[in-house]
Amino acid sequence: MTEDRVDRLLQDAVQDYHRPPRTPREEMWQRIVAARAARRQRAIVLRPWLRWGLGIAAVLVLGFAIGRWTAGGPGPAGAPAAADAARGADRVNALAYRVAAAQYLTRTEALLTGFRAETRAGEPAAQFTAQARELLTTTRLMLDSPAARDPRLKSLLEDLELVLAQIAQLSSRGEREDVQLINQGLDQRSVLLRLQTAIPAGPGPVRTQGAL
Amino acid sequence: MDERELIARVRTGDGAAERVLYDAHVDRVYRLAYRMAGDDELAREFTQDTFVRAFERLGSFRGEAKLSTWLHAIATSVVLNGLRKVKRLRRETDLEDAGGVAAGRRDAEPDLKQRLARAIDNLPEGYRAVFVMHDVEGYTHQEIGNALDIETGTSKAQLSRARAKLREALADFAGEWVS
Repeated sequence: MTEDRVDRLLQDAVQDYHRPPRTPREEMWQRIVAARAARRQRAIVLRPWLRWGLGIAAVLVLGFAIGRWTAGGPGPAGAPAAADAARGADRVNALAYRVAAAQYLTRTEALLTGFRAETRAGEPAAQFTAQARELLTTTRLMLDSPAARDPRLKSLLEDLELVLAQIAQLSSRGEREDVQLINQGLDQRSVLLRLQTAIPAGPGPVRTQGAL
Repeated sequence: MDERELIARVRTGDGAAERVLYDAHVDRVYRLAYRMAGDDELAREFTQDTFVRAFERLGSFRGEAKLSTWLHAIATSVVLNGLRKVKRLRRETDLEDAGGVAAGRRDAEPDLKQRLARAIDNLPEGYRAVFVMHDVEGYTHQEIGNALDIETGTSKAQLSRARAKLREALADFAGEWVS
């Protein structure tokens, strides 16, 4: 018996190997649609940067709203009750900004420390671009907020805006010269040191007491 | 609608275009999944997973290969990884059950097709994938190479070894085939 003959017989016989039934198109399509919807839901709930970003944005929006309300709030007579209410609202307003700023600065410090350490160890920089983009948006919100009235913080925010924009624009290849320039900029302008000084002291990731 | 236009529409989230893409490829993906898994529920699960991943990753599809090639690379990866998990689970279950069931089955299947099926099931994973794709589902070596990320020559060599192993496993039937 030749091998060819066996192969031909094999080829005939194997057509019955796990012979598939008719494709259950509709049932599978329904399950695909449901699975994708569930994944989208999960992604929205779990994506941590989104959660942080929304939290910070919400605090900033709250701050703006309170600020605007208190600016146009009390009447011309300036009654004591209205003045008390305005002072109370100012305190809430200031606290809201401090919370937002502390969260933002802590996250930015973590990103830049990680970026410097990883890229110096030869690790790819591309892993930081998405987070840098998101923090860049928050930086711009911070620069437009009353938090930027503090000249020290404003100067720091402007430097952070530049650095984050540079990281956000790194290509997936993350050219070495670009990464070196970013790290040099961080060192020359003592960005990390100023950032650490600006972050209020305290145990948690959201610290509201201190330098701010 | 050509493939590029279809992909562009799917990328914008066009549900109708997603369905067109699905309809165009689902039969071949499901058939392969079923041939490899031998189980309808698993085949459905693998097919669904393939399309969920494909829709999620379509943004990164650069069009360097045909969409079907790219899709089948995802499908084979999903199927092989899924089968590894199933195998691991079954091994654990068999150990718990003291392995009594599987041991007694071998002699109870005198039929050629059952013996052949068992012999194919027992092929090493890579050989089995190449054999099923080529000899059962009619994929070319080029398609297999792209899907499994191996050279065309490797696909040919693995097919040849798979056939040799099957001939060997079914040697005692050879006389009946030619008589």
